[in-house]
Amino acid sequence: MDRPRVAIFDFACCEGCQLQLYNLEEGLLDVLGLIEPVEWREAISDQSDSYDIAVIEGSITRKEDEERLKDIRKRAKVMIALGACATIGGVNKLKNQFDFGEVRRTVYGKDAEAPHLDTARVKAVHEVVPVEVKIHGCPIDHFEFGTILKSVLAGKTPSIPNYPVCVECKKKGNICRYEYNEVCLGPITRAGCGAKCPTGGFWCFGCRGLLDNPNVDAAKEVMDIYGKTVDDLSGRLLLFNNQS
Amino acid sequence: MLKVLDTAELGTWVEAIIKAHDVIGIQARADKFDFGPLAKVQDLRLDYDVSLNAPKRFFLLPDEKLFTFKKDEAKSAQAAEPFVLFGVHPYDLIALRQLDKLFEMDNPDVHYLSRRAKAIVVAVDVQKPSAHVFAGCLGFEHVEDSYDILLTKIGNEYLADAATAAGEKLIALGKGFTKADDTHLAARKKIWDENKQALRRHELKPNKAQITAQLEKSYDHKIWKEKARLCFSCGSCNLVCPTCYCFDVADRLNWDLASGERVRTWDGCMLEDFATVAGPHNFRNQREARYRHRYYRKGKYVPDKIGEFSCVGCGRCIGACVTHIANPVEVYNAIMEA
Amino acid sequence: MGKIALKDIYLPETATAVAIRQLTPTEKCFEFKLDSGKSLGHMPGQFAEISLFGIGEAPISISSPPHGEPTFEMGIRQVGSLTGALHRLSVGDKIGVRGPYGTTFPVTTAMKGKDILFVCAGIGMIPLRSAIKYVLSHRKEYGKIHILSGTRTPAFRLFSDELEQWGKVDGVRLLETVDQPDDGWKGNVGVITTLFSKISFDPKNTVALIVGPPVMYKFALLELRKLEMSYANVYVSLERKMKCGVGKCGHCQINGLYACQDGPVFRYSDIAETREAI
Ligand SMILES: Cc1cc2nc3c(=O)[nH]c(=O)nc-3n(C[C@H](O)[C@H](O)[C@H](O)COP(=O)(O)OP(=O)(O)OC[C@H]3O[C@@H](n4cnc5c(N)ncnc54)[C@H](O)[C@@H]3O)c2cc1C
Ligand code: SF4
Ligand code: SF4
Ligand code: SF4
Ligand code: SF4
Ligand code: SF4
Ligand code: FES
Repeated sequence: MDRPRVAIFDFACCEGCQLQLYNLEEGLLDVLGLIEPVEWREAISDQSDSYDIAVIEGSITRKEDEERLKDIRKRAKVMIALGACATIGGVNKLKNQFDFGEVRRTVYGKDAEAPHLDTARVKAVHEVVPVEVKIHGCPIDHFEFGTILKSVLAGKTPSIPNYPVCVECKKKGNICRYEYNEVCLGPITRAGCGAKCPTGGFWCFGCRGLLDNPNVDAAKEVMDIYGKTVDDLSGRLLLFNNQS
Repeated sequence: MLKVLDTAELGTWVEAIIKAHDVIGIQARADKFDFGPLAKVQDLRLDYDVSLNAPKRFFLLPDEKLFTFKKDEAKSAQAAEPFVLFGVHPYDLIALRQLDKLFEMDNPDVHYLSRRAKAIVVAVDVQKPSAHVFAGCLGFEHVEDSYDILLTKIGNEYLADAATAAGEKLIALGKGFTKADDTHLAARKKIWDENKQALRRHELKPNKAQITAQLEKSYDHKIWKEKARLCFSCGSCNLVCPTCYCFDVADRLNWDLASGERVRTWDGCMLEDFATVAGPHNFRNQREARYRHRYYRKGKYVPDKIGEFSCVGCGRCIGACVTHIANPVEVYNAIMEA
Repeated sequence: MGKIALKDIYLPETATAVAIRQLTPTEKCFEFKLDSGKSLGHMPGQFAEISLFGIGEAPISISSPPHGEPTFEMGIRQVGSLTGALHRLSVGDKIGVRGPYGTTFPVTTAMKGKDILFVCAGIGMIPLRSAIKYVLSHRKEYGKIHILSGTRTPAFRLFSDELEQWGKVDGVRLLETVDQPDDGWKGNVGVITTLFSKISFDPKNTVALIVGPPVMYKFALLELRKLEMSYANVYVSLERKMKCGVGKCGHCQINGLYACQDGPVFRYSDIAETREAI
């Protein structure tokens, strides 16, 4: 098999996920052996126009970005959304909570009316074009990235969990954050990170997005067991799982 | 072989065991207790209430290699190292005894069984009941078989009952063991009777046979729907359970895309896609159907298979369920009221 | 703990693809040969766990009848990772095999001397083909034979060349239908249950084998009941998610039954009251 041509594009994000790829270290060399990177700005400067796999980082915040994304889609056989910004809109979606004019004034002050800062509702990649593979997380887990990439290259559907973080948390044998009356989003958040935060002693803030079928009503109803309110829960959900 | 050891001598004995064997022992973890590699005897906490994690994880690993492969060749991965598991409570030992039967029957599972065969289990009678234990209601507060050694604290002494050659060898590592007599056995019996009452933090009204019989007629009981409404399908109640043993199987590739390993990982029937096949078609699509399945497994399906009630009353699921709906006592009491 | 079994029930043996042919746009038929040179030793209705290392494993019915040879056939629909990768195999490629597993159609017991009704809906034809071929090669041991076959469209008819041969065997009546005809189709149109009214059989002396997608069973069973068939003479094969095939992983449970051990072939009267069955 010819090495597939892989291109990475970034939209609105911190590029932290791309940095995670360098954490692959030795794995990175393996990756480079399996693929032919194109337009991987931070790794190599080589420009090309057609790709077997396009990796999209970041969320879509402007009209021009939508056009650029659609153009990339036309030239890619497989599209991978990389990181929470791309898969669920990420922290950028917080912006959708607010009036756009106000966002611009807050962020850019008096330059807010400049046309290139025209900002629209923040979208995840799949809200604009079809996506074959989503690599969740903020930032992504480089181990999972490797697993997914290997699957794609071997011609197998990557298995992306549709069970909650609690499963991985229990496999790790952690003490549940609810034992200490902390609101953890684990029960409604998609696993795959190896329950990173609870394993480190923190509650899960939901960076991998909600499950296909999360029982959010249950999450709300149990808040008073722990002396919390629905607002406490909503506040946590806002960060990564703002539905607007 | 019955021996007695002064509690003051326990330390030297355990130290000798640690020198001679890899020991997984019960110890403190934050404000709880858990099993883990025992580095020093001071960490051993035989006065614990319940271990955060059930001992099954040392035999059915949460993530376990079944075999490695290289292109078209596969090689079975069986490299279990011997170890001593120190401080297992009776209800957890009964759970292991059930898993032994399940992994042995029909098609013996060499991965689980070889780990079990290489482990020496030191059980200990409960000294302090946990918040949710109800093993006493099920007759699982004490155990009379399946251990290598059973320790029972009687006043200032430990009664050590070695039931196997491996257990006797462990005892031989200690100094200061003396002969036990009938008064020790009577005292242990008394502790078992007391524990039958003490390990009842939730009161189960029906007995085991009544539950199994009642489940025959409870498939459409309103409790399933009522409780499942708040279910996250998070599987915590499955994964913490000492008798749950369902697993998933998957292949992991190395970077050469030709070699790798097949692994099995813990799974649970409460998870949404547990019964989903290509299509996709989910044979247990409703939360309530999955919720019901767990109680039928513990109360009827596994008992029908191995002749033993399959909830041992450890209470872990009760504490693990974030929405407080996973209490088997509440469910089994409710179905008795039709 | 006592003795330890030495055999690893999860470790596949290898086999080689010796013939591959396209059956329909989505199904291929594979002939595999065990590298050990031994026969798989299955009976009609059983399945095997098929592996491609690195991709995964799946239960697949054995579609050929038993014979002493080290070869066996499977009809495989492309639906996902493993089945997709199997479809990319070439002759000479290796696979992993575990099995045979599960229960069998009662070809040597309850079916003996009886009239036989085969109801094959969609890829239900794949497991039933093993039983059909077995029965046809032991023709004298059975009475009249009806084979009913239904597919979505004519393009999805499985083993269509063999179907025609079967229809010509003495005492065999073959009836086909499609849900949606194409321009060339001259046969029946409609779901498979519409074929029941076109045949006549003695319900007291007939054993029926039904295999098809989950939704089909309810309707087919209802029709058979109307025709006064006793459910004790009806056998079905049920698909479930399976991860081990050997009664351990828990995925295939139908209430307290294990589809991999107590099934996949069930006598319907045994499971008529089992709520999760149909
Ligand atoms: C007894 C038995 C006999 C069978 N006989 C045959 C046969 O003769 N021929 C044949 O073609 N097939 C047969 N099958 C079906 C076959 O096993 C499946 O089609 C196969 O397992 C699909 O595997 P895959 O890797 O190709 O698909 P996967 O990639 O695993 O899945 C494809 C789709 O299935 C669904 N899915 C599967 N697993 C999961 C999961 N864990 N979580 C969520 N969704 C999931 C998803 O929708 C997914 O997109 C049989 C099944 C059984 C139980
Ligand atoms: S800490 Fe969070 S993720 Fe872990 S079990 Fe508790 S709720 Fe679930
Ligand atoms: S535990 Fe939650 S917040 Fe932390 S990495 Fe995992 S999904 Fe993200
Ligand atoms: S069902 Fe609950 S109480 Fe019973 S054994 Fe399992 S975890 Fe313990
Ligand atoms: S079926 Fe459910 S209850 Fe039974 S062992 Fe599996 S996960 Fe546990
Ligand atoms: S722990 Fe509770 S919420 Fe989670 S699956 Fe079990 S019953 Fe449902
Ligand atoms: S397939 Fe694993 S128990 Fe049946």
